[in-house]
Amino acid sequence: MAQTANPRAMAPAKPGPTRTAAPMKPGNWPSSARYRTYLGFDLTGLVYLLAGFAVLGAARAFAKGPDAWNALLASYKHPLWILFHLVVLASVVFVGVRFFRLFPKAQPPQIGPAKPPPGPLIHAGLYAAWIGATIVLAAILGGVIL
Amino acid sequence: MKAFLLKIEPVIWLLFGAGIMVGTILLPGYLLTVGLGAPLGLVSADALSYDRLHGMVSHPIGGLVFRLVLLALIALPLWKGAHHLRHFLIDMNVHADSVVAPLLYLIAAVGSVCGILTVLAL
Repeated sequence: MAQTANPRAMAPAKPGPTRTAAPMKPGNWPSSARYRTYLGFDLTGLVYLLAGFAVLGAARAFAKGPDAWNALLASYKHPLWILFHLVVLASVVFVGVRFFRLFPKAQPPQIGPAKPPPGPLIHAGLYAAWIGATIVLAAILGGVIL
Repeated sequence: MKAFLLKIEPVIWLLFGAGIMVGTILLPGYLLTVGLGAPLGLVSADALSYDRLHGMVSHPIGGLVFRLVLLALIALPLWKGAHHLRHFLIDMNVHADSVVAPLLYLIAAVGSVCGILTVLAL
């Protein structure tokens, strides 16, 4: 059975001039694979939130000095930290693949006189930036360059 | 509060979009070295030594880039996370957006301010 999907959640403070139907969830929610993927994409928010605070913790340890920094690096050898970083990496790859696939479709057809480049070109550019930034950052932090 | 959130929605969406784009592009390089490479012995201990990294942070130009990248790695995932988690809870029919949304954005804002202060203190 279909059910209402919290229709007031994104409602404006004052009613608008145009009446709109309340959003409805399909009857097979959330067993549908499409919705599971969609919810999984949303749920990566929790992983990103934790990752942001983890990087903040690393930066604070670095700011405190060599002893705190070395202690942090030693703590990262714990299996739970390795598992956490693997989960973050998997989430980031999932978000990247899904977002970069959707990004060309979300472009406006025209901005003034300019048209966006073809979708495949945008897609390729995003992957080039992603892979390039990953290689450069890993090479710098890994001591290969600089 | 709802009216205020609607007023600042463009700013939240800007930070959320930057969090998806920049956060996703930068995080793998950090994770592959600091999060996984060093603990698993794939990255030498000298590469992530305090002295080497402190030398990079102290460089007049490189240090600025280093701090900006570090701040992006801290703040942008927080905003992406807060906004996506808010919508996950809406989709799960949690009828508490008037509480959840300000709380999540407050967490992201506090984390971002802490990030700015930390990066400035390096």
